[in-house]
Amino acid sequence: MTNTELCRRSFLRAGLGGISGSLALNSLLSAQNLASKGVVNPLHHAAKAKRVIFLYQAGGPSHLETFDYKPQLAKLDGKPMPESLTKGQQIAQLQGKDLVCFGPQHKFARFGKNGEQLCELFPHIGSVVDDLCIVRSMTTEQINHDPAHTIMNTGSIIPGRPSMGSWLLYGLGSEAENLPGFVVLVSNGKGGQMQPIAARQWSAGLLPSKFQGVKFNSIGDPVLYINNPPGVNAKLQEQSINAVNAMNKIGYGTLKDPEILTRVAQYELAFKMQTSVPDLVDVSKEPKSVLDMYGANPGDGSFASNCLLARKLAERGVRFIQLYHRDWDHHGGVKANMEFKAQETDRATAALIKDLKQRGMLDDTLVIWGGEFGRTPMSQGGDGRDHHIKGFTYLMAGGGIKRGISYGATDDFGYAAQENVVTVHDFHATMLHVLGIDHKRLSVKFQGLDARLTGISGDVVRDILV
Amino acid sequence: MSVARFLFAAVALSATLAAAPVSFNRDIRPIMSDTCLRCHGPDKSSRMANLRLDLREEATKALRNGRTPIVPGDPDHSEIITRIFATGARIMPPEFAHKTLTDAQKQTLKRWVAEGAVYEGHWAYQPVRRPEPPVLAGNPVDAFIEARLAREGLKFSAEADRRTLLRRASFDLTGLPPTPAEVTAFQNDKSPDAWVKVVDRLMASSHYAEKQAMHWLDAVRYADSAGFHGDNLWPAWPYRDYVLKAFRDNKPFDQFTREQLAGDLMPNATVEQKIASAYNRMNRYSAEGGLQPKEYLAKYGADRVRTLSAVWLGSTMGCAECHDHKFDPFASKDFYSMKAFFADIKETGLMPDRGADAWGSKLLLATPEQQRQLDALTAKADAARRELDEKAKALLAKAPNYVGTADRSWHWQKPVSARAAAGSVLKIYNDEMVESSINGFERKRGDGLIVASGPIPSNDTYTVELRPGAGKWTALGLDLHSDEVLPGNGLARGADRFVLTEVDAEMNGRKLPFVLATANKTDVHVDAPAMAAIDGDPSTGWSEGHMLGLRFGSTVTTAADSVITVRLHQDSPIRRAVIGRFRVALSNAEYSWPYLGDSGKQSKARTDENQAVLNVDVEHGVPFDVTEGFKAEPDKRTERQQKAILDFFEFTTPELQPLLIAAEQTAWERTRFFWSIPRVVTTETTEPAITRILPRADWMNETTEIVQPAVPAFLGKVETGGRRATRLDLANWLVSAQNPLTARAYANRTWREFFGMGITKSLDDLGSQGEAPVHPELLDWLASEFVQPSYDAAGAHAWDMKHLVRTIVLSKAYRQTSMSTPALDEKDPDNRLIARQSRFRVDAEVVHDTALQVSGLLVDQFGGPPVKPVAPAGYLFAMNFPKRDYSESRGADLYRRGVYTEWQRTFLHPALLNFDAPTREECAVNRTNSNTPLQALDLLNDPIFVEASRVFAQRALAANPKNPIDEAFRLAEDRLPTAQERRILLGLHAESLKQFRADPKAAEALLSVGEAPRPKAVAAADLAALTAVTRAILNLHETITRN
Repeated sequence: MTNTELCRRSFLRAGLGGISGSLALNSLLSAQNLASKGVVNPLHHAAKAKRVIFLYQAGGPSHLETFDYKPQLAKLDGKPMPESLTKGQQIAQLQGKDLVCFGPQHKFARFGKNGEQLCELFPHIGSVVDDLCIVRSMTTEQINHDPAHTIMNTGSIIPGRPSMGSWLLYGLGSEAENLPGFVVLVSNGKGGQMQPIAARQWSAGLLPSKFQGVKFNSIGDPVLYINNPPGVNAKLQEQSINAVNAMNKIGYGTLKDPEILTRVAQYELAFKMQTSVPDLVDVSKEPKSVLDMYGANPGDGSFASNCLLARKLAERGVRFIQLYHRDWDHHGGVKANMEFKAQETDRATAALIKDLKQRGMLDDTLVIWGGEFGRTPMSQGGDGRDHHIKGFTYLMAGGGIKRGISYGATDDFGYAAQENVVTVHDFHATMLHVLGIDHKRLSVKFQGLDARLTGISGDVVRDILV
Repeated sequence: MSVARFLFAAVALSATLAAAPVSFNRDIRPIMSDTCLRCHGPDKSSRMANLRLDLREEATKALRNGRTPIVPGDPDHSEIITRIFATGARIMPPEFAHKTLTDAQKQTLKRWVAEGAVYEGHWAYQPVRRPEPPVLAGNPVDAFIEARLAREGLKFSAEADRRTLLRRASFDLTGLPPTPAEVTAFQNDKSPDAWVKVVDRLMASSHYAEKQAMHWLDAVRYADSAGFHGDNLWPAWPYRDYVLKAFRDNKPFDQFTREQLAGDLMPNATVEQKIASAYNRMNRYSAEGGLQPKEYLAKYGADRVRTLSAVWLGSTMGCAECHDHKFDPFASKDFYSMKAFFADIKETGLMPDRGADAWGSKLLLATPEQQRQLDALTAKADAARRELDEKAKALLAKAPNYVGTADRSWHWQKPVSARAAAGSVLKIYNDEMVESSINGFERKRGDGLIVASGPIPSNDTYTVELRPGAGKWTALGLDLHSDEVLPGNGLARGADRFVLTEVDAEMNGRKLPFVLATANKTDVHVDAPAMAAIDGDPSTGWSEGHMLGLRFGSTVTTAADSVITVRLHQDSPIRRAVIGRFRVALSNAEYSWPYLGDSGKQSKARTDENQAVLNVDVEHGVPFDVTEGFKAEPDKRTERQQKAILDFFEFTTPELQPLLIAAEQTAWERTRFFWSIPRVVTTETTEPAITRILPRADWMNETTEIVQPAVPAFLGKVETGGRRATRLDLANWLVSAQNPLTARAYANRTWREFFGMGITKSLDDLGSQGEAPVHPELLDWLASEFVQPSYDAAGAHAWDMKHLVRTIVLSKAYRQTSMSTPALDEKDPDNRLIARQSRFRVDAEVVHDTALQVSGLLVDQFGGPPVKPVAPAGYLFAMNFPKRDYSESRGADLYRRGVYTEWQRTFLHPALLNFDAPTREECAVNRTNSNTPLQALDLLNDPIFVEASRVFAQRALAANPKNPIDEAFRLAEDRLPTAQERRILLGLHAESLKQFRADPKAAEALLSVGEAPRPKAVAAADLAALTAVTRAILNLHETITRN
């Protein structure tokens, strides 16, 4: 029997219950490069999208100053919220406070063929509205940032469940040879309302850690330890790795342990990553026209630079690219802060859509824009908005999603999603669906269950599918 | 069937290897559990057709339609058999269940019914009996395994060679590789009890505890931070040390259990027992503003049940938070009844994470001497404060509108120079425009702002020269400016705070001493008040607030060209807690109040571009609460206003100054001493909160059934004679003969430590969905031997953790070689039968510790506060509250064992995370063991390992200057390299030497990594080339693999 066979056999019999089992699992999944097949093979149904770029607006963007136009709320500004709506509902920092309507702080305008109403701070997004599906009826269950991020990313509030990028790597594998298949980028905003984001949000949880997201950094090494130690040049690094691998192969000759070959492969891969990543993250070689389109300044670690980098990663076959942009937690000063946010994200978001489109990639890339929750139609402190889980907006574009439509609606106050409610689990099911995965069949053995990675509920939102 | 299901629902080995007859537990329960019980099992809410198959009585009753699910002995008339062989719409399980039965499974079910459909209680819930070993001589562990191997036509493999054996035992027992000398000694020890001696030596070492505690700490999710949101650090390490000592001193496990769950409730609880009770506080806590307290109390309680259930019961009770368990007999009521045991823990949903009230219940770990000293200092400080307050109140009664209109404003200075001693670059913005970003972005005139940039040294001293012109000055002011670019809470260039350890000032070579330091307060760094900046002690510093007012001992008189030199010493042990942006002021008022430095007010005051000199504050030097307070009648003033007025009055009244200074000084002495005493979060008991069954975990529900503390009904009852059962009752029950799960769960996990996989691999699930044990009698024997030692048990006690380990490690099974054969691989690829040993990569901490050990860097110190090995700058970029950057430890604390690394839950240290250490946000009774390119990058390029390589090279060179390469290899692997291996290492060395000789700067750069000293005598190129070799050795698979 060959080693690959042995390896495969042991993998097939292994669960996640022990050390040797997991070793075998990794051995199987580690080829000579990072590209790998997933467990959903063949796909459950034809896929429309191959990859996802998730523009995660962390902190909870106000739907009322972005993409959910509420003229009624403007009229009721300063009036008490009807108690019939808010009674017995969850509430965050406004606990025990008077609940007063707070009209939209910016004007809206019409964009696109259907005259879609968007906040006028976002004209660039307006210019691509005919490529977007605006979902105005999102809901979630968690009203504080940390657990709300966790459920949005993993479908559960208990730490240790895999995040959505891990689902895709596990299910679909990766096509990127010298790059991780799940990349995370984080940018800060200027408003100073930056909520923390735990590394849990891109964890592989109970799946093997090769499925975890790899964070690319704008400070220091772009990927942790991707740069050689001081004084070690590429040649010496290669010689060192060759020596390690040659020695390990001698060990393999004695022990015939496939895990050693896996280790050899991982060192080769590490070296390939070392040569490819620094080049990749350097967006300064992009044409000026492209930099201008995104509004990116090479090396600034901004959302705009990250959007451009996301396109480059997508081109290289990265399966799931998640850009966290922070500073949407507008408890105060929502008016002024929304202007910052628009400056930071509007142009770049639209540029990414356009860029993908002009490269023919929008057809098989799913782009998602949204955060962990929305914000109250009630004012907080007279100029801000509190966390809100009963209705908020997501944008989706690209592979498998209808273009130039809106879906679902909140009530006249922008308080509760009323029409075609989309839960976090529905959103997950829909995302997986366009990628060729039936979320009900993507499972892993965990605590005695064939645990569905997405959690126990969720229905595909078929109305928005092409 | 999806590939995923196929992979993970693989048939248990025992079943595939089994011969007839059909056994319910071995063959039928796994099938039923996986495919039938979701709809026909214990959970009534999802039960279909009113049919239960998990109980024989139910399954053999006729249904309403007249058919009988199971007719024992008659498969042809058993509806379940008919249905599983049916096609189309009638097939079971139905299509919507996404479950299918294989032909073999169908045949097995049919045979089982034909053989009489005999049910057995689930193995794990049966009392632990003590199986008789098949052979009475020798270690029963071997007897059970050998008997099973014989049935499979297998035998034990040969014993491993002694080097391998000692490395295996050293890694397993102590988490460190043996020294070459230890290996040689063992190889040369021909006595029959050589192995016993080695095992006993290793188990007696404190390193034994450091290794064994690691996985217990995973299970109880011990961490040094709270886990939610700001993820701030809490004092938990004394509990970690308690666990370490329990393993070291071999505390009986029943006692270990009682103390952790209920140490605080034990009669005459000792300090140690109260520390142990911190177990109950190791769940994540949130301090996020706007959280709904009830929601979080529900989260904390549920977390405790999940953890207890996994650790002691090996069960997945978490499933029953929302509904009755689908496969095991845990009802939802059981979940909430277990939760009710913890309802007496004193805590709040929003748990304060900073300041004096942080983390709720805490236990000060003062020695009697420390307590006496603290009491004395407290009495002294209280007396001084009382004297001041009494006198102040008397005077204040005579001065109803004391505040007047006096201008007490600060005179902001435009410094003439600013220099830093240790590398920071200071730039003064006087009339120049400066950009800042705080709550937005602005660009305005600096007005004396000093901005630090350039390198960020661990410590620095800023020297600022002021030329204030002629005047008389009473105080120096220092205002720190927040900016988004400053990672240290927006104020410092690194760390999570600034620390100003000392300020001094001089003029014309004469010191200008300060007598009083005051700061505006944020109640965050209550241990670092303003007085710390003038106490002459460089180990203490000011961190609390933004603005510091320092009163001169006597009025400073300046001439037109006088220069005052101010030095800001920042010598904190916390690295890079150095100030980023600040302005300096002087006051010529009698006394100036520093509270005005508050950034918000400051920026309001400065919005007017026309304000020539910023010497006018919005409140004219008087705190807002004071002016407002004086507007009201004395008896109408709020408590806050009264306090503000009294503080202000004391601060500004000349005759009170000696008393004020004495009060502040004694308060600081008391504070400093108080915070030097270690403390730990602990459990305090209070009136138990009402616990309800929450369907679907809906915490807002206030109408459902109220439950009392109780253990899962099917496992028995805690007898209390009507008294509400406590955590102590729970603990006693867990380690009682009534509960069959604790000993089995613990024995199974212990087995995993020494073979890489449990006897049942599902460490967290001994229930029906878990794997049946491959060696069931062995597991029960070990469980029984753990509780009541009898084999080779001289000196052992009940619930003896060390005895269990020793019994396993002394077995023949443990000592086998890990080498396999094609035939064995074919039959038992995962080594479940134990016809050989296993190989696996060592744990994350051990990867780290091994590098430090072989390089000689490891600092062997048992216990103590967490330490922070080097980590990349910016690693904590995505955190906030406070914004922070990583600040590594100093000196010896850089080189401690991984078990002491500060466990930051939301951003675990990369050298731990990359090698699969769990974040401990949630209970983890098993670690995965992966092999990834990120691990390769870490071992190759992480400065921790680069420094270790360099020091390793130094060590090898010192030990064997003639042949350091062989020496290094031997230190790491306990053997000499083969000729072929030596050639590879020599080749790498020659290449490296050539390159480093050609590029001496590169050699210097490599050798400059890390702070461990470097011998100057060795030529840089030589040491760098050898470092390249030792680095390769530390990266070898063999180095990090336990064989």
